[in-house]
Amino acid sequence: MRSPFAYMPRPGLLQAASPGAAVAYLGSLTVVAFLYSSPIVLIATGVALVLAGRIAGARAAVRAALWMGFTLALLIVVVNALVVSRGDTVLARLGEWPLFGQVDITAEAIAAGAVLGLRAAVVMVAFAVYSACVDPDRVLRALRPLAGRSALTATLVSRLVPVAAADAARLRDAARLRGPAAAPVGRAPLARRLLAGSLDRAVDVAATLELRGYSLDAPRARGRRSRSRHDRRFYATAAVVLAAATAGKLLGADAFAEYPAVEIGTSPQTLALAALLILSGLAPLRRKPRRAPSFTANPRTASNSPPARGII
Amino acid sequence: MQFAGVTAVHAAPALAIDGLTYRYPTASRPALDDVSLCLRPGEFALLAGRSACGKSTLLRAACGLVPHFHGGEIEGAVEVTGIDAIAIGPGELAAVVGYMAQDPETQVVSTTVAAEIELPLEMRGDAQASRARAVEEVALALAIPHLLDRAVDTLSGGELQRVALAASLVTRPSLILLDEPTSQLDPVAGDELIWLLRRLNEEWGVTILLAEHRLERCLAAADRVVAMESGSIAFDGPPRSFLAWAQQNDQALETPAARLFSLCGIEPLPVGVRDARRTLATDPSFRDGVLQEKGTPPRRQDPPALTARALWVELARGETPRDVLKGVDLKLHGGERVALMGRNGAGKSTLLRAAAGLVDPVHGKLDLPGGIALLTQNPGDYLVRERVGDELPGEAGLAALRVVGLEHAVDADPRDLSGGERQRLALAIALAGRMEGNELPGLVALDEPTRGMDRARKQDLVDLIGNLADRSAAVLVATHDVEFAAGFAERVVLLGDGVVIADGPAPEVLSGGWYFATEVARVLDIPGVITPEQAAETLRLNADFALSRAMRDKRRSQRREEG
Repeated sequence: MRSPFAYMPRPGLLQAASPGAAVAYLGSLTVVAFLYSSPIVLIATGVALVLAGRIAGARAAVRAALWMGFTLALLIVVVNALVVSRGDTVLARLGEWPLFGQVDITAEAIAAGAVLGLRAAVVMVAFAVYSACVDPDRVLRALRPLAGRSALTATLVSRLVPVAAADAARLRDAARLRGPAAAPVGRAPLARRLLAGSLDRAVDVAATLELRGYSLDAPRARGRRSRSRHDRRFYATAAVVLAAATAGKLLGADAFAEYPAVEIGTSPQTLALAALLILSGLAPLRRKPRRAPSFTANPRTASNSPPARGII
Repeated sequence: MQFAGVTAVHAAPALAIDGLTYRYPTASRPALDDVSLCLRPGEFALLAGRSACGKSTLLRAACGLVPHFHGGEIEGAVEVTGIDAIAIGPGELAAVVGYMAQDPETQVVSTTVAAEIELPLEMRGDAQASRARAVEEVALALAIPHLLDRAVDTLSGGELQRVALAASLVTRPSLILLDEPTSQLDPVAGDELIWLLRRLNEEWGVTILLAEHRLERCLAAADRVVAMESGSIAFDGPPRSFLAWAQQNDQALETPAARLFSLCGIEPLPVGVRDARRTLATDPSFRDGVLQEKGTPPRRQDPPALTARALWVELARGETPRDVLKGVDLKLHGGERVALMGRNGAGKSTLLRAAAGLVDPVHGKLDLPGGIALLTQNPGDYLVRERVGDELPGEAGLAALRVVGLEHAVDADPRDLSGGERQRLALAIALAGRMEGNELPGLVALDEPTRGMDRARKQDLVDLIGNLADRSAAVLVATHDVEFAAGFAERVVLLGDGVVIADGPAPEVLSGGWYFATEVARVLDIPGVITPEQAAETLRLNADFALSRAMRDKRRSQRREEG
């Protein structure tokens, strides 16, 4: 079973962009999520990331991240509501609880938890889109001259994760196929078996890396840098998003207070920033060609996007 | 493209091993014992031998993994194109040696196929243009250009094997070491791979050392055979001499065609189908053959153990779901021994998984009134404890062990069992509690059980299957191994792209084609004749027929002369 977050080569602009451009673009939206507490801005950031992910073809990753993000958000809301009793609007008084003391459920604590949860969900969507759309090989290739050993470790881990996932799926299947009179397999023996298997797998993968010459000190090829003609678009979008977020912060676009009563600012600055953020989600959208080509071209070579294997 | 160590390549043997003895770190006895071997540049050598005889260790020593990666004690010398493989590591040797291990899943380290193939060139420091050309060329040579942009974790086992081979070949090494490269390939892809290796050997002058159990598949392509026995070289010579040696010393290494010739007393022993046909064609007694009478398979009276009606199964590969089974209709009866065959990706494993309830059909009906015990491709996945008795406690566990003949191993550690015993233990785990008294589940299914098995172990498995079927279980085995199928199956179901394309008695299905046919069937081309024993009987009949016809003709001519 393939992880929805695993990178899948697709002919999208985000996949074609260099890792730096993709990281700048997705990172700028992540920075906004950490910088702002306004639910309007956070929702707009989330919408932008969902749009970007869907346009880039990472629907499954976005769906899984939203599901996981909202589950986590719900957990944060519940915990925050139980732990924090501040706020004017008391919805329920639950009396004295062991460890918690007096528990009052307030609308403000729920709102504060919801904002924290929303931020976590937005960040998870950003990482999901990154994971599904940015080729880890290109990232590692870019990192290798800077930190060879770290890149080797990262390569080993990035390869072992899908191998371990496949092993775990097989072990689960085998556990389901055991006869009813065979000793049941709990999580602990299964985890032990998976760990032991993973160590063997790690040795095999490391052997393969060795055989591919990963440990060689040979001069690295000085090929062209991994750039795409779409990089400028993503760098520009990231710059605009960061500039607008900084300006908005200075101009009071992040007007939000949880306590003592919930106040959500809906100033023109906030709304303008939200609109801009949503528009930034369209950055991976491919522009339609102005004129239809007069010949039938080979789709692999004539595509508007560069080949997914990277160097352009 | 660069060619590392060009001067050394032409001057020195491709591989020179002298007095090599090697012991793994925790092993009590050496895996290789005083092995000496010299491969000249451009040779195609086949490494034969039973399981655990040291073939894989020898290949690892030739590419530097032994001792650099595995540790242990080593004596002797290993030189690859004049480079001391014991002194330098596998990384440095990678420029001149390509190595492909048994399991392709751990041999890919990149995300996409193109990046995987390009990696060794990048590590070597090749320029971008040169890398792009090399990747394109090796992809064309292996017929995988359509896979270049795919993610490696969406590939099938066979596709992965080709990608791993491409990554080994892309640096144009002078020596290629392959450890059972066809173990996960269907007969079509397996044959294609062997002939591709032969082409690389002839056109590029690449030296090839290939370890393989299915010798009939590659003997004809080899120039030389090296047979190993308990860590030592027991035979080293041309393929025909090897067959004569195997006939005398280890019949488990004989090919089916050679076995047929041995049984009939025909010389010389054939190294391949063409060779066998040529020899038989020169003998008139075999030219005008009589057809063996085709027996009709016995009609089964036992109740159905599996009934599949219009079965559709959809699986997601990547993010795009596709139909893997497309309206399969199948009925198996108790006591039947059935081989499920077909190309990689035809839907064999999916059919078994659907029957075992691991995947849900999107349409159609599956009925298994007696239940099912399924053994998947990796028996080790079933073994999670350190004592056989802990895996199978109680009387029901002991009963399951009895069925597979392992009741004596209750106190053993599963890791100390042989490969065949581990497989039987896994089957016992699948059976435990699904038997009523000594009665087995209605269907016992095995998915690719012969991977990495030598012929002797396959025969043990054939016996076990016969035992299960005799106890009224229907036995369904998904396999690529045509010779194994001929050995155990009475019926063969052939799947093609999720559809049943042939379903009939094994002698009929396994003699009616080219790829899904046994070596004997390809030699004789007599419908219904698939095993050496059957064929020998047929040829004897033919010989008798030819002899009686010759005598009749002689008598007629004598009478005519007298008249």
